Amino acid sequence: MKKFTLKPSANDTLQLVHPRTLTINYKQELNEAQYEAVTSVDGPHLVIAGAGTGKTRTIVYRVAYLVELGVKPDHILLLTFTRKAAQEMLRKAAILLDSRCENVSGGTFHSFANKVLRKYASLIGYEANFTILDQSDAEDVLSLIRARLKYDTKEKRFPRKEALYDLYSRSLNTLTPMKEILAVDYPQYLELESDIQTLHKAYEQYKKQHNLMDYDDLLVNLARLISQNEVVRGTLSDRYKYIMVDEYQDTNKVQAEIIALLAFKHRNVMVVGDDAQSIYAFRGSTIKNILSFPEEFADCKVIKLEENYRSTQPILNLANEILKRGSIHRK
Amino acid sequence: MFYKELFTHKSGGNLPQLVSAENENLQSRFVVQKILELREQGIPLEEMAVLFRSSFLSFDLEIELTKANIPFRKFGGFKFVETAHVKDMIAYLRVLENPRDVVSWNRILMLLDGVGPRTAEKVVDDILKRKITEPGSGGESLPSTKFWMQFNDYSDNIQKLFGTLKDVSSPNVTPGEKTYHILQYYEPILRARYDDHTKRKKDLDMFQNITERYKDIGSLLSDLALQPPNESIVDVESPGPEEEFLTLSTIHSAKGLEWNSVFIIYALEGRFPTMRSVASDEEIEEERRLMYVACTRAKENLMITYPMNIYDRESGMILTKPSRFIQGIGEKLLEPWVVE
Repeated sequence: MKKFTLKPSANDTLQLVHPRTLTINYKQELNEAQYEAVTSVDGPHLVIAGAGTGKTRTIVYRVAYLVELGVKPDHILLLTFTRKAAQEMLRKAAILLDSRCENVSGGTFHSFANKVLRKYASLIGYEANFTILDQSDAEDVLSLIRARLKYDTKEKRFPRKEALYDLYSRSLNTLTPMKEILAVDYPQYLELESDIQTLHKAYEQYKKQHNLMDYDDLLVNLARLISQNEVVRGTLSDRYKYIMVDEYQDTNKVQAEIIALLAFKHRNVMVVGDDAQSIYAFRGSTIKNILSFPEEFADCKVIKLEENYRSTQPILNLANEILKRGSIHRK
Repeated sequence: MFYKELFTHKSGGNLPQLVSAENENLQSRFVVQKILELREQGIPLEEMAVLFRSSFLSFDLEIELTKANIPFRKFGGFKFVETAHVKDMIAYLRVLENPRDVVSWNRILMLLDGVGPRTAEKVVDDILKRKITEPGSGGESLPSTKFWMQFNDYSDNIQKLFGTLKDVSSPNVTPGEKTYHILQYYEPILRARYDDHTKRKKDLDMFQNITERYKDIGSLLSDLALQPPNESIVDVESPGPEEEFLTLSTIHSAKGLEWNSVFIIYALEGRFPTMRSVASDEEIEEERRLMYVACTRAKENLMITYPMNIYDRESGMILTKPSRFIQGIGEKLLEPWVVE
C-alpha cells in the first residue's frame, strides 16, 4: 500500500480522501504523463510541457485533484502569464469539479504582488493606496528627475529616459549590476555610471515619497518584503501550501526567488513550462530558471509531456528537427 | 535543454512547405492567393494566421490584404491602455485615488490650454503643500472634499478641472459615474487635441464600459495597470464582431494560440533570425525557439515563406538566403516551392 505522509502544519491538516471516492476518473481522462503530473502532490515538481501537449488541461485537472483531496482552495496559489489564463483555468476546474475551484488564488506574479503589497504596504514604507506606474509613466518620471538634476544640459550626452528605464529595469529583473549592462549595451555611457546611479537613487526616492511603484517595484518589493520579514514570509508560506507556476520558462530571476521564498516551509511547488518556448529574454526572463530548477530543488521530479494533440506528425517532425539542430546541450 | 520529441497518434497530414518568392511583393501575393484558396476549401479566416518575427515585416502584406478585401486583425502593436487618450482618462481617475500622484497631475494639467511644464510644476507644488487627507479608518489617506476646493486663485480652466474632480470625488460616486462625468469634461479637450477624435472616442466608450464593471476606483486602476483589457480601436482596425477576420501577429503575441493554417513570412536570414542576434549564441538560440513556437502553432497546414531579394539599409547588404533554422532541412521534412 502507498503511504501518504502529511507534513506537520499549524492548523489545517490535509483531510485525506480515499482515491476511490474521487468523483473524477483521472486515469481515464488523462494520458500517462499528464496523470502522473496531476496526481503528484507533495514536494517539488517540474513539468516539461511541449507545445500542444495539454498543458492547460493538466493544470486544470491538478487544481481539481488537489481540491478533491481536501486542500483548501485558497491554500493553492496558481501563477500564470496573463490574468485571463488563470481565470480560464480556474473556471474550467470549477466546471470539471465544482465551484470550490473558483476560490483558488490565481493570477499573474504582478497581480499577486499587488495584492500582498496592498496588505503589507506600511512594512515597506508605502501606503496601501499606492499608484502603479506603467512603463511610459515611469519614463516620464525619469525624464523629470533627469531635468531636475540638470543632467539634460550637460556637455556630454546623457542617456534618454527610455535607455534609463531599460537599464534600471533590466538590472533589477536580471539581478545584474548596472555597470555590466552599461558595458555591454551602452558602452558610450560607461563613464557616466556614477551620475546614472545618482539618478537612479533619486528615482527610487521620488517614487517612495509620492507613493508610486513601477512594475518592477511590485516584484522587487514583494521579494524584499518576504526575504526580510520572517513573519510575513511564514504567514504567506502557511497560507499558500501548494504553489503552481505556469509558463515557468518565461519567469525572471526575481520571480524564481519569490517562488523559492514562498515555498520555504513546504517545498510544494509545481512549475510547468517548455524550455523550448522561452522567448522573452529581451525583457529579463531567463531560460535558466527552468533549466536549473532540478538543481535548485534537489529532489525534484521531472515529468515530460510529449504527446501532442494539436498538429499533424509532419508539422511535429519539422518542429522537432528545428530544435535538434540547436547548439545547446540536452538533458 | 530538456530532450523531448513531440509525437501524435493522429495519422496523415501534408508536408510543411518552404516557399521562396523573388521579392517581397510576390511573397505577399502568394500569401493572399493561398489564403483565398484555403478559404475556398472551407477553412474560415479565423482558422488562419500569418506570423512574423517583427511587426514591420507585415506592412506590404497588409496592403495586399486590403486590396484583396480580406479583413484582418493585427496583434503585437500598441496596447489599448498605452494610447494617449486612454492614458488621459486613467490619469484623472488616478489623482482622485492618490492626490500625490505627480505624474498624473502633470499629464492632466498639461492638457489645458496655456499650461506648460512650468505652470504645471507650480500647481503640483501647491497641491503637495496642501492638507490632502482626513484620517481614514483603514489607515488610508483618501482626499477630503475640502481638498478639491482650495484652488480658487488659478485660471478658469484649472479651476474647472478641480471643480470636475471635486464633483466626482466622493467614494459614493461609482467608477462608472466618475468616468461618465470626466468624459463630459474631457470631450472638448479630445476634440481639440486629436484629428482622429471620432475613432478615439470609440476607445473611450469601451473604457466607459469597462469602468462600469467596477465598484471601486482602486481595483479598477490596479487592473488597468496590471493588464490591459483589449487592443485599441485606433491602433488595430478591427471589423465588427460577427465578421470573420484573418490574424496577423508577431510570434511573441501568438504564444499559446493555434490555427488550422499558419504562414510564417520573412523566414529570411537577416530578418529571422534578426541581423543583430547573429553575433550571440544565446540570442540565436532564442530566435530558434521563436521559430519553434511559430511552427507549433499550426494544426494542419504550415507554409514558411521568404523573399529572395531584400536590400538591408542598415548593413548595405542584400538578403537572399532562407533562415538558417530551415535551410538545408531535407525535402522529406520540408517541401520546397517557388512562386512564379
